[in-house]
Amino acid sequence: MLNLQDLYAMPLESHKVLVANRGEIAMRIMRACRKLGVAFTAIYTEEDAASGHVRLARETGGEKSLYRVSSYHDANELMSVADEAGCTAVHPGYGFFAEDFRFARRVMKRDRTMIFIGPSWKIIRELGDKINTKRLARSLGVPTVPGSDRPIYDEMEAERIARSVFEFQEQQGIRRPLVLVKASAGGGGMGIEEVYDIDVFRSVYRRIRNYALRQFKDEGVLIEQRITDFNHLEVQVVSDRTGRNPVHFGTRNCSIQSTGLQKRVEVAPGFAPGPITYSFDAAKVLTDIVDYSLTMARKVGYDNVGTWEWIVTRKGDPFLMEVNTRIQVENGVSACISRIRKDGRVIDDVDLLAEQVRIGLGQPLGYTQDDISFDGVGVEYRLIAEDPDNRFTPWVGRIERFQWKPQPWLTMLTHVPTDEPYEIPTEFDPNLALAIIWGKDLAEARARGLSFLDDLRLEGRNNAGEELKSNVNFLRANTERILRF
Amino acid sequence: MINISELLEEIKASPFREITVRTPHTGRVTFAGLAQGQEVLGPQGQWKERPGTLLATLERERNPKPICATEKGVIDRIYNELEGQFVEAGTALMVIRHMLTRDEVEYLILKKALHLFLAPERAKYYFTPEVDKKIRAADAHSVVVRDGMELMIMSRMKREVPLHYSGPEGVIYAVYFKYNENIDAGAPLIGVCPQDQLPAIQDVIMRVRTEWTEK
Repeated sequence: MLNLQDLYAMPLESHKVLVANRGEIAMRIMRACRKLGVAFTAIYTEEDAASGHVRLARETGGEKSLYRVSSYHDANELMSVADEAGCTAVHPGYGFFAEDFRFARRVMKRDRTMIFIGPSWKIIRELGDKINTKRLARSLGVPTVPGSDRPIYDEMEAERIARSVFEFQEQQGIRRPLVLVKASAGGGGMGIEEVYDIDVFRSVYRRIRNYALRQFKDEGVLIEQRITDFNHLEVQVVSDRTGRNPVHFGTRNCSIQSTGLQKRVEVAPGFAPGPITYSFDAAKVLTDIVDYSLTMARKVGYDNVGTWEWIVTRKGDPFLMEVNTRIQVENGVSACISRIRKDGRVIDDVDLLAEQVRIGLGQPLGYTQDDISFDGVGVEYRLIAEDPDNRFTPWVGRIERFQWKPQPWLTMLTHVPTDEPYEIPTEFDPNLALAIIWGKDLAEARARGLSFLDDLRLEGRNNAGEELKSNVNFLRANTERILRF
Repeated sequence: MINISELLEEIKASPFREITVRTPHTGRVTFAGLAQGQEVLGPQGQWKERPGTLLATLERERNPKPICATEKGVIDRIYNELEGQFVEAGTALMVIRHMLTRDEVEYLILKKALHLFLAPERAKYYFTPEVDKKIRAADAHSVVVRDGMELMIMSRMKREVPLHYSGPEGVIYAVYFKYNENIDAGAPLIGVCPQDQLPAIQDVIMRVRTEWTEK
């Protein structure tokens, strides 16, 4: 029986990765595996039979490369398929098991051990808990958002904290104070609500608590002061299994979000201090958050890809919000502006997913921060069937036409077939596609983004015969304000 | 009011239902040695505490899971070629021909007689915690619903919205959705019986009880 060290020592070609996810990210993982010469096995559920990831697995996978399972959420299913298919590693993608330390631990600690492609389970546990992250950050002198520093389980106590946060803001002269009620175990903008009025606090608190219990099996709720006027920045960190030499792949700005605080447009780098003037020293903020993030990564011995999420206020103060111990949807936007110098040649089609799989399987990073350089501006649009005029309510129905004009500066990532109609499944995120656009500077990236949106054809109908609703107009309207603060 | 006699005759004309037994998840199948034409039983006992006839065992992660008959019937087809194989979720193992029971006929008829509150969208549905508590404590019949009352939570695409009941006031007589199950748009969620029609509905049930003989 192989142990973990044997697995890490194996050459890439001897590995087989279980792609424990669906849709667009499953496709990216499969492509990354093929690029590296690693075999893979994909899974799908009944509702997803028409998804592009199933088709890609059928077309490009080898033997035992596709299995139907009862649920993506059932760890037993994943383990039994991995054993049957002879997998040596599991890639969780994002969502589902990506930040579940118990799952990561199980993958590594079972009799037939496998590699979990992500940080080691102890690091996921340490940084997955927002409160623990906050404590760790404070101990290293990294600034964090004010509010409760542990999950609250008691209604009276929750109300008391909410009252004090309200009072504090009133004293600060904030005209419309509000508190943020968050599911402690939540993430990705799920289970967060704003409260403007202490009288409705209790009902919101109860709703979030019930939601948290149903979705995350933990009733804990956080109460935070909400910083309303801010930009949402991220630092992409990459480190190999030694955990000693983390590097960063720059910053991203993810401030353009839906009302539910879900990201819609992501831009790399985080600010553009040249073409845009800010009321603060933007270049210094970017350097600061990168330094803080790498300090924390070094401290915990971070050993895979991860994202440090930051809030930057109008005054230019950064606060650490949370650490996402996984690959993120928007990793491609950082990759598209990055170049790596490795073994005497320059890699300009950086693929962070391939890097994640490679270092996850035990390969050394092979380059340092000095070998990474950045060029241009990357913009990512999340194309979603939803109604931005109506609180971004998801639209469900059949997509009949989905076309775009191929461009050398455009990467389209989608699981939606373009040659046949596609029924949007209601079980998952309504994401249809990611469009990544590169420009040599902000102006060119913006112009190319608009021209992409103008050429895009996205049509469909639902059961009631209504036309497809999408966020294309929202994306177009917001292109003008990217990187502005 | 609906024509009960006609409906009963209609059901009597083809009183069978074919049940395909599928694997609930992946795993290795071992059949229990049954053959085509053999009779199987559904769960037995006063509280249905004894499971039905063992049809097959599905082993996954060293956990053998017995797959038992959920209803009484006769094995119509059995896919013995899967013996010992690793199968995917949802693989058909056998087909059972099942004669409708009194309860099932009652269910079919009630679905026509009650006021049905339909699912507006394909989504998962839950009762609100208050209603859920009441149903758990007593049963669904104890809950009176009124027009405009916040009755359920509709959950889809990670979003939850409250769903208000619309229709006549009455008691919840039947619940047609299961926890964590996706319901199609237009499928019934609950059957509501207005208070004044309770005797009529109970009459219907009596008739089914007396006229439908179970074999």
